[in-house]
Amino acid sequence: MPMGHTATAQADSGGLTATEHRLANGLRVVLSEDHLTPVAAVCLWYDVGSRHEVKGRTGLAHLFEHLMFQGSAQVKGNGHFELVQGAGGSLNGTTSFERTNYFETMPAHQLELALWLEADRMGSLLSALDDESMENQRDVVKNERRQRYDNVPYGTAFEKLTALAYPEGHPYHHTPIGSMADLDAATLEDARAFFRTYYAPNNAVLSVVGDIDPEQTLAWIERYFGSIPSHDGKQPPRDGSLPDIMGEQLREVVEEEVPARALMAAYRLPEDGTRACDAADLALTVLGGGESSRLYNRLVRRDRTAVAAGFGLLRLAGAPSLGWLDVKTSGDVEVPAIETAIDEELARFAEEGPTAEEMERAQAQLEREWLDRLGTVAGRADELCRYAVLFGDPQLALTAVQRVLEVTAEEVQEVAKTRLRPDNRAVLVYEPTAPADENDATDENEEAAK
Amino acid sequence: MTEFATMDFHPQPQAGEPKPWAFPAPERSSLDNGLTVLRCHRPGQQVVAVEVLLDAPLDAEPAGLDGVATIMARAFSEGTDKHSAEEFAAELERCGATLDALADHPGVRLSLEVPASRLAKALGLLADALRAPAFADGEVERLVRNRLDEIPHELANPARRAAKELSKELFPAGTRMSRPRQGTEETVADIDSAAVRTFYEKHVRPATATAVVVGDLTGVDLDALLGDTLGAWTGSAAEPRPVPPVTADDRGRVVIVDRPGAVQTQLLIGRTGSDRHDRVWPAQVLGTYCLGGTLTSRLDRVLREEKGYTYGVRAFGQVLRSAPDGTGAAMLAISGSVDTPNTGPALQDLWTVLRTLAEGGLTDAERDVAVQNLVGVAPLKYETAAAVASTLADQVEQHLPDDYQATLYRQLAATGTVEATAAVVNAFPVDRLVTVLVGDAAQIKAPVEALGIGEVTVVAAE
Repeated sequence: MPMGHTATAQADSGGLTATEHRLANGLRVVLSEDHLTPVAAVCLWYDVGSRHEVKGRTGLAHLFEHLMFQGSAQVKGNGHFELVQGAGGSLNGTTSFERTNYFETMPAHQLELALWLEADRMGSLLSALDDESMENQRDVVKNERRQRYDNVPYGTAFEKLTALAYPEGHPYHHTPIGSMADLDAATLEDARAFFRTYYAPNNAVLSVVGDIDPEQTLAWIERYFGSIPSHDGKQPPRDGSLPDIMGEQLREVVEEEVPARALMAAYRLPEDGTRACDAADLALTVLGGGESSRLYNRLVRRDRTAVAAGFGLLRLAGAPSLGWLDVKTSGDVEVPAIETAIDEELARFAEEGPTAEEMERAQAQLEREWLDRLGTVAGRADELCRYAVLFGDPQLALTAVQRVLEVTAEEVQEVAKTRLRPDNRAVLVYEPTAPADENDATDENEEAAK
Repeated sequence: MTEFATMDFHPQPQAGEPKPWAFPAPERSSLDNGLTVLRCHRPGQQVVAVEVLLDAPLDAEPAGLDGVATIMARAFSEGTDKHSAEEFAAELERCGATLDALADHPGVRLSLEVPASRLAKALGLLADALRAPAFADGEVERLVRNRLDEIPHELANPARRAAKELSKELFPAGTRMSRPRQGTEETVADIDSAAVRTFYEKHVRPATATAVVVGDLTGVDLDALLGDTLGAWTGSAAEPRPVPPVTADDRGRVVIVDRPGAVQTQLLIGRTGSDRHDRVWPAQVLGTYCLGGTLTSRLDRVLREEKGYTYGVRAFGQVLRSAPDGTGAAMLAISGSVDTPNTGPALQDLWTVLRTLAEGGLTDAERDVAVQNLVGVAPLKYETAAAVASTLADQVEQHLPDDYQATLYRQLAATGTVEATAAVVNAFPVDRLVTVLVGDAAQIKAPVEALGIGEVTVVAAE
């Protein structure tokens, strides 16, 4: 191969291996063979997300992701979708705080088409991008925002929690969907500048996983991507570091037309990629994952004050991760009763740490989640890109589950004690109002094109 | 700064040689207790999927107790003769397992997923749940309260609210299908542990149940494992259950569920058609994909990619209830949401798409792309054990042969443009569609009335 190979020692996890390569233009490539099913996944991560957006242009990274499906030099209109689907493939793109990803899963004999399509838009998007696409996708994205956030109860909760947990001016203060006003304000020139700044082979990682011939695959990658020029126009994201704890309890009460009271909270937790983050994941699982967790047992089973109670973890590498508590109250139960119970459970957990049985359960659950994620070629391709982009080493994807299993009960207790404290949380309380007019709502941290 | 003209362009590559792939054929057997078993070895799939189908359909629920099948399904994981509710949940999670249970028109379905290394233990728990559920008074009472708490959340969700209204409109009052699957506030409140146990004793037994097991079964002695677990479940012999016929009123009309201030209108436009025993099904799948299967289908090409009225509108056919003699029914529908001010124009365009399709038919190119996608994605779609198990379970539930899906792919490939056109036009006739709109009546009623797609009535959201 006429490219600078940097193939590394193969890591081993359940028989999965990956090799790494780098083209002369800086494009990093990760390949992983798996011949069980005749399918191949292509995944391309660009190291740009909503954290790179500037004031007044929130939502631009995601809107731009939509524009990547509107054609490029050799691909007309919706041709990207049409060609992949017509080849028996599936595809999409998503935008989060820290990255934008594009992916195709193809029957193995159609792999080359997906590589050609990704290369065409990486190298020539601007030759096709026009006002018509921009205006159309602006409307589509605004309707995406309405459908997923503004028109559903609690739909903007995540947006509100994020805004509380990361201060004004912080790169993670706003979520990828952006505001309606900023979506309206974005111009075609903004989109062009965004592409010129962030879309380059040296700001991306391409992974190909599945029933592939690595030599042939690398040759195709060199052929299609090799001539795309690199550039160093990228602006680094603003610094996302913050003190370990918030230092006070932040609080917002929302009076809206929602079906029940709700208590939500965001805790500032260790950054992704650290052992402490894995410990936090286990702590949140013991406390609020599944139907044998402490909060579920306390609030839903015993006190019967909640209809649902759980914790989720949003792993972030460039800022503190976010532990997200979500409790919907039962009947006429009021929020303070729930809050007291949660404080008691968190304090007790910090005092005692997890039991051996709780550790076993939490680790078994996280292990299964990893098996699920690595069980498809598309899931594996995405994880390889994630570790390559965020942590510089795709091999870490294959050993991630081992790291979770190595965490000790003491480490779980430690993160609970130092982080799951009232002075390290932003609280969002929903109080229902009678049928009113405009309401807001929330949810995910990812936006998809399709 | 890079510019776009500098890369080397190459012609679009041609496909390589396709590798053979076929939908997996399960092995069918039965245990001594009458339980039917379908198994399928999928190398590399470390998370095993187990689906158990119980012949406990919603129409078997006693009058006034809608929701008892749902409460029973949920109560399976709330304790057994060996474990309390909390212990049972803990033991399952200790296996890294998930267990979901859902009651729907054809019956109750339990879905277990667990790493292969812990399959034995998890199957034991699943068998305990089916064989000796505790149905403790306190746990059932809690599930009932929990279910009552869920109802307002569902009613506040535009898509759920629309589905509830469409069922009420389409199906004759008094039939189970006209009412919410999981019951209403009135019926759920009357459910107690005695009602759950009575329903269980009457309708749950191994002789009328099927277990589907899919995953990497290397080194697993499944016969021994099943014998020790689900094989220990006992019950009386099967009694045949007649399947009530499904009728629906699809006179073209519009119902607006008023949601003042809503920034979007949720659309659900539907009627019923025949089930998958009908020979038209493959052509209907193909035609429906061309109409609204993806964002390059006819509906989204206009509503999304030309007009920007929506994030996406989909057309689909979904079996509601099937019978061995083919007298079952499927819901044929178009759903999505559009911004409030463009509700009238979006519906107008939607009807224009349907009329244009009826007048001009599909093109050969559309048909070809649809076939290539529907058939081509099969190996991707069925990569996981859970996906294979779910489709095998659907086939059993719908009284279809075990090779149905494999045959369907061959039929799709053999279906022509004319047949696909006829099927989709018959599936979505412009004057026989019931339109439910969940949105701001004050803003959308007049524009919708002006379209002439049927009489418009407004109902309150609650």
